[in-house]
Amino acid sequence: MNNNIVGMEANMEQLLDKIISVQSRSDGVNTSLFEKREHIEKLHRTRNLLRKVQFIYDLPTRLGKCIRSEAYADAVRFYIGAMPIFKAYGDSSFQDCKRASEEAVGIITKNLQGKVFSDSESIQARAEAVMLLKQLNFPVENLKVKLFEKLEQFLVDLHLESKEIAHVSATLDGPNNHGNVTDPASSAAHESSIHEFAEAIRAYRVIFPDSEQQLVRLAQDLVNMHFEAVHRHIKKQLQSEDLLEMLRVIWSDVLLMDEVLPEAAISDFSLVAARNAVKEYVASTFSHLLLGITGTIMKVQDRQKVGVEEEYPLQSVLEASKKAVIQGCMNVLLDFRQLLDEKLELSLKLRDLTIDWVQEGFQEFFRKLNERFLFLSGKSNSGSQDLSLTQGVQGEKVLPGLVLLLAQLSLFIEQSAIPRITEEIASSFSSGGARGYEYGPAFIPAVICRTFRAAGEKCLDHYVRLRTQKISVLLRKRFTTPNWVKHKEPREVHMFVDLLLQEFEAIRGEVKQILPPELSRKHHRTDSNGSTTSSRSNPLRDDRMNRSNTQRARSQLLETHLAKLFKQKVEIFTKIEFTQESVVTTILKLCLKSLQEFVRLQTFNRRGFQQIQLDIEFLRTTLKDTSEDEAATDFLLDEVVVAAAERCLDPVPLDQPILDKLIQVKVAKTSEQNLNP
Amino acid sequence: MQGGSTGIGYGLKYQARCISDVKADTDHTSFLAATLSLKEENEVHLIRLSSDGNELICEGLFSHPNEIWDLASCPFDQRIFSTVFSSGESYGAAVWQIPELYGQLNSPQLERIASLDGHDSKIRSVLWWPTGRHDKLISIDEQNLLLWSLDTSKKTAQVQTKESAGMLHYLSGGAWDPHDVNAVAITCDSSIQFWDLRSMTKTNSIEHAHVRNLDYDMKKKYTLVTADDESGIHIWDTRMLNFPFLELPGHAHWTWTVKCNPEIEGLILSAGTDSAVNLWLASPPNGDHLTSESLESPTRQVDPLLNSYTDYEDSVYGLAWSSRQPWIFASLSYDGRVVVESVKSHLPRK
Repeated sequence: MNNNIVGMEANMEQLLDKIISVQSRSDGVNTSLFEKREHIEKLHRTRNLLRKVQFIYDLPTRLGKCIRSEAYADAVRFYIGAMPIFKAYGDSSFQDCKRASEEAVGIITKNLQGKVFSDSESIQARAEAVMLLKQLNFPVENLKVKLFEKLEQFLVDLHLESKEIAHVSATLDGPNNHGNVTDPASSAAHESSIHEFAEAIRAYRVIFPDSEQQLVRLAQDLVNMHFEAVHRHIKKQLQSEDLLEMLRVIWSDVLLMDEVLPEAAISDFSLVAARNAVKEYVASTFSHLLLGITGTIMKVQDRQKVGVEEEYPLQSVLEASKKAVIQGCMNVLLDFRQLLDEKLELSLKLRDLTIDWVQEGFQEFFRKLNERFLFLSGKSNSGSQDLSLTQGVQGEKVLPGLVLLLAQLSLFIEQSAIPRITEEIASSFSSGGARGYEYGPAFIPAVICRTFRAAGEKCLDHYVRLRTQKISVLLRKRFTTPNWVKHKEPREVHMFVDLLLQEFEAIRGEVKQILPPELSRKHHRTDSNGSTTSSRSNPLRDDRMNRSNTQRARSQLLETHLAKLFKQKVEIFTKIEFTQESVVTTILKLCLKSLQEFVRLQTFNRRGFQQIQLDIEFLRTTLKDTSEDEAATDFLLDEVVVAAAERCLDPVPLDQPILDKLIQVKVAKTSEQNLNP
Repeated sequence: MQGGSTGIGYGLKYQARCISDVKADTDHTSFLAATLSLKEENEVHLIRLSSDGNELICEGLFSHPNEIWDLASCPFDQRIFSTVFSSGESYGAAVWQIPELYGQLNSPQLERIASLDGHDSKIRSVLWWPTGRHDKLISIDEQNLLLWSLDTSKKTAQVQTKESAGMLHYLSGGAWDPHDVNAVAITCDSSIQFWDLRSMTKTNSIEHAHVRNLDYDMKKKYTLVTADDESGIHIWDTRMLNFPFLELPGHAHWTWTVKCNPEIEGLILSAGTDSAVNLWLASPPNGDHLTSESLESPTRQVDPLLNSYTDYEDSVYGLAWSSRQPWIFASLSYDGRVVVESVKSHLPRK
C-alpha cells in the first residue's frame, strides 16, 4: 500500500510537468496567433464602419427613393438610424451628407403634413403620418390646432351654406307656396358636407386620441349653430313645416354625430336645444298672431288718418278682425298639429311638452290680447307695467269706433272663437300632462270667456261713455256760454240741436256697422210705458202750456212727476246690450239726462226758457226714430222742459202756433239741406 | 233696492242741493239742509237725528233770502254756517248765525254775521278748514280765490287776499286739505289746481277735465278723491299726480259729489244724477299684479262697491257724513228729500 502511494506521488509529479509543458506550449501558440486575430478583428471593424459610412453616404439617395415610392415609414426609420452619426460627425466628415439628408427629410415632413391635411388619404395613412411626424420631433400640437381650426371653419362654412338653404326656402315660401322648403340639390350638398364632417370627426378621434373633448365641443357647436339658425328663422317667422324640416335635418345630423362620437351624447344635448327652440317657436307664433290681429284692428285708425272714403270702414275692419282672430287661431292650431303629427323622434319626445306649451300659449295669448284690447280702447289699467305707453295713448284720442269694434270683437271671441278653439284643442291637444296634475290644464276657456265678456262690456260701456262725453262737451258749451237771464226771443231752433243730431247720426253710422240689430223689438216694454207716458205727459204738457199760474202748475207737476220718476228711473239707466238699438238708445237717454242736468244749473228768463222749449220740441220730432225706447225719450225730453220751467223766473211757454211754425221752418230747412248737401 | 228702504226720511218743502253735517254739535247728530227755489221763500233746516236713531226731527227752520247753492257748517261753532246763494243774476255769500234760544222764538231770523262781498263773478263755494278752529275762510268764485279772516265774535269778515286763477279757468269748487291748513284743491273746467294759501299761488295741477267735486281723505294724508261727470271717481296721491292710483266706476250718469268718511280710511260715498248713492271701499292696489290677476281669477278682486242706495226719486246732489257717528250719512235729492242711512251693515267685517 505504502509502495503504491509513493509510486502515485511520482506519477503525479510527472503529470504536473506535462501539464506545465502543454500550457507553455499553448501560450506559445496563443502568442503567435494573437497578432493575426487582432488584425482580423480590426479588419472586421473597419468593414463595419465602412458599411455604415456607405449607408450614410447613401442616405440621401435612399431617402429620395423612399420619397419617390412614398415609403415614408422606412425613410423615417433610416433617418432616425442615421441620427447618432449625424449627431457625432454631422459637423465634420458627413456635413454634406447630413445636409442632403435633412433636405430629404424636410420634403418628407412636408409630404407627411400634406398627407395629414389631405382628406383624400385614408385615415390610417393620416394617422401614420402623424405618428411619423411625431417621431421626427415635428410639433404635432400645432398641426392639431390647425386641423381643428380647419374643422371649425368647415363647420362655419357648412352653416353659412345651410343658412343659404333656409334663406332660399324662406323667400320661396310665400303665402301660396309654402311647404316646398328645401330644394333637393342644396339638401344633398348639406348631407354630403355633414358626412364629411362626421368622417373628419371619426378620423380625428383616431389621429388625435386625446382630442375627444374638443370634438365633443365641435359637435355641440354644430348643434348650436343649427339651432341658432332655427332661432333666427323663428324670429323671422316660419311655419311648422319649415321648423320640422330644419329639425329633421338637425336630427339626421345628430344621429350621425352620435354614431361617430357617442361620448358627446349629442342627442340629449340637442333635445334640450330643440325643446327651447320649439318653445320659442310656439311663443313667437303666438306673438305674431297677436301682432297680426292688432294690426288688422288698427287699420281703423290708419284709414281714418289717410282719410280713405269707404262706405262701411268699421264693418270691413270688424270682419277682417274676426277673420284674423278665428283664421289666425285655426292656422296656428293647424300649424302646431303638424308638430304633433311629426314622427321624428325628437318631436315625439317633445310631444307632451308641446301640447302644454300650446295650451299655455293660448291662455297667455288671450290674456295679452285682452290687455291689448283694453290698452287700445284707452281703458288700460294705469297699474300695468307700461306706464309710458299709456301716457302716450292718453294724449292721443281714442277713436270711439275702435272701442265699439273692440267691444264686438271681444264678444265674438267669447262666443265664437273660444268655443271653436276649445273644441280644437280638446281634439288634438288634450293629452298633455307634462305639467303636473295639481296645476290642472293650462288652457282654461271659462276664464278667458269671462275675461272677454268683461272686456266686451267694458268696451261697450266705454264707447257709450266716449260718445256721451263728446256730446256733454257740446251741451256744456251750449249752456255755459250764453247769459240765459238776458236771453233774446227765440227765432229759430238753436244750432246745437243740429250738432247734437249730427253726433247721433255718426253714432248710428258706427253702430250700424258693428252691432247687430235687435232681433225682436221689445214691444211689451214700450207698450207698458207708452201708456203711462202718453196718459201722463200729454195732459201735463198741455197743462203747462195753458196755465199762466205756473207756480201751481209746477208744484203739481212735481208731485206727479216724482211719483212716476221712480218707475221711470229704472228704465233710464238700463244695462247696455250688444245691439244697435240698445246702444243708440242708451246714449240718447244719457245725453238727454245730461241736458236736463245742465238746464238745472242755469237760471232762465222767459225767452231763455222758450228757446229751450223750442229746441226740445224740435228734438222730439226728430228723435222719434232714433230711440227704441220712445217712452223714456219722451219722458226725458219732458223732464228737460220741466227743469227749464223750474229754473225760469217767468216760465211762460211759447204759443203752440208759433212753436209749430218755428219747427216747420226748421224741418223744411233741414230737409232742404239734406236734398242739396 | 233690495230689502226696501232702510233710511230715515225727511222732506224739505222745495227742491234742494246742499246738506251739511253740523260738526261742532257734539251732543247730537245733526245736519243743515237748504232749499233751492227760484221764487219761493227759501229755508234752512236744522235737522237732528233722534237719540234712538229712528227719526229725523226738525230742530230749527230759518228763512233765507235767496236760493242756496252751497252750504257749509262751521266746524267749531254749531250755530254758525255759510251759504252761497243767488237769485237770477245776482249772487252772494254770507256767514250766518242761528239765534240763541231759537226754539223759543216764533219765527227766528238768522243773523248775518258777515257778507262775503267782494266777488265779481258767480260764487261757487265757501270752505271752512275742516279739522278745527281756524279764523280763515275761503270763498271761490268762477275766477278768484279769496281768503277771508273771520272774527265770529266781532262778526266781521275781511278779505285777506284775493287771487285770480286766470280768465279761462272757470273755477267750480274746492276742498281744503284737512292735513295742511295752507293747502287747498280747486276744481276748474279743465284741471284740478293746488294752491298754497300763504303765497296764494298755484303750486301744482292735474290736467283732468270736468271734475264736479272733490274731497280729501280725512285719515290718509295726500289722498284726494275726485268725481267726474262722465268718468267716475278717481283717487289721487297728491305727491304723484300723473295718474290716479285708483279708479272707481262711479255712477250710471254723472257722479256729482264724493265724500270721504271722517273715520274710516278709504270709505267713500258718492252721489249721482242717476238717483243713487254709492258706498265704496277703496283698497289701495296691491302691487303690480292687477292685470294678470284679473285674468287668473277675476273672483279674487274684491268689488269696491259695498252698496248702492237707489231709493231716490231724483238726482242726488247733497251728501254728508256725520262726524259724530261716522257710520251715518245724510243724503239730499233734488226733490228735497233728506235720507239718513247707516252704512254699518255694509262694512266688511274685520
